[in-house]
Amino acid sequence: MSDREIQIIIDSFWPLLRAGLLYTLPLAISSFILGLILAVLSALARISGVPILSAISRFYVWIIRGTPLLVQLFIIFYGLPSVGIILPEFIAALIGFSLSVGAYGSEIVRAAIQSISKGQWEAGYSLGMTRSQTLRRIILPQASRVSVPPLANSFIGLVKDTSLAASITYIEMFRKSQEIVARTYEPLVLYMEAAVIYLIFTSILSFFQNKLEKRLGRSSAD
Amino acid sequence: MMIEIRNLHKSFGALEVLKGIDVSLDKGKVLVIIGPSGSGKTTLLRCMNLLETPDQGTIKLSDRSLDFQKGRKVSSKEVTELRKRTGMVFQSYNLFPHKTVIENVMEAQITVQKKSKEDARKSSQELLAKVGLGDRGNSYPHQLSGGQQQRVGIARAMAVEPDVLLFDEPTSALDPELVSEVLKVIKQLAIEGRTMVIVTHEMKFAADVADHVLLMDGGYIIEQGHPKDVLNNPQSDRAKQFLNRLTGEDI
Repeated sequence: MSDREIQIIIDSFWPLLRAGLLYTLPLAISSFILGLILAVLSALARISGVPILSAISRFYVWIIRGTPLLVQLFIIFYGLPSVGIILPEFIAALIGFSLSVGAYGSEIVRAAIQSISKGQWEAGYSLGMTRSQTLRRIILPQASRVSVPPLANSFIGLVKDTSLAASITYIEMFRKSQEIVARTYEPLVLYMEAAVIYLIFTSILSFFQNKLEKRLGRSSAD
Repeated sequence: MMIEIRNLHKSFGALEVLKGIDVSLDKGKVLVIIGPSGSGKTTLLRCMNLLETPDQGTIKLSDRSLDFQKGRKVSSKEVTELRKRTGMVFQSYNLFPHKTVIENVMEAQITVQKKSKEDARKSSQELLAKVGLGDRGNSYPHQLSGGQQQRVGIARAMAVEPDVLLFDEPTSALDPELVSEVLKVIKQLAIEGRTMVIVTHEMKFAADVADHVLLMDGGYIIEQGHPKDVLNNPQSDRAKQFLNRLTGEDI
């Protein structure tokens, strides 16, 4: 490796990390929070027993899971202006990623709710609790525990997927690396450097995911 | 009359599980339902708090009366009102694993009876003491033995001050040496004059605690009456066969 390449790596480390901390992670975190809300609403609609709500939920999950995320982002950012809806790149990315997290999360939350034994519902009912009381106080707290590991996985996946926002001109970490490449003509070192920083992010998150899982495992031995 | 059930029918798909059941029970009495597996005894019990919805018939329980017809839906409000008058103890306990023992007992007092947390805690502590678990309130269910868990189940069922306590094979999931601690608690409740309906395979216990015994088979009541008569001197061949087989198993 030449001195020039080493110098480029050192010089670009902080700008890349900064873009990661200030743009990649905030986009991932805010999309994840919005997506979780969507996921729970969609899962509840799906199991509501109300045909129209269940159909809406199914349709949403079908569309989002059945089409590429990159295409969705292009439709939101480059397509919608044709019908007069012009969104800043951050908002467009936020909408795209939230819808995606919501659809995949919907299936995770639904599976978690359905994994709680029927006896728990019956115990709530037998005490005179209504369906919504039983859901809120008995089923969801248990289901949220079950769904932590798969949801943590999808968060880690989301951190990586935010690199797609580069394609709609949102200057997160990957877009930043592209900019530096345009200046220095060193694609291999720059993209490798970006990859390493993603790896650092996801490794730290995996570490916390493991801790969280161990902790949840301890307090619910049965 | 605390419970009055008339002409109760229930099918699961093509299988008719209850074929016209009539049951009456006075306040303060204990009804024990026995019978072979698949006889419909658990379904009958679950109809009493509408965990199963009957297809046809009437159920009168305490001050509520409900009439069932195929294709007519009973409002969820009516269902909840009837359930508030019953408490159920399940074969597999069905305690809430994410809540401590005392929170299990407090839950319905807070959500259903709208008691304050302090009041709920106080009366739950008394109920736990009553089932001999006054010192285990802060444990989680999985830290208790099966017998202890089932006693928590009984305390939880009593927490909403139900008019009738329903027991669905309360000792079937227990190791043999843990059965008696649960039966003792149930017997104590019988002595105190609680109205109870118990589905069980424990024949000695049935003879001991019941005021009235129902023997079910194939969706019908084939024998009923005073426990001594039903258990020691059954009339029908089918009843004799069932009870003989049980005594055989005892040996």
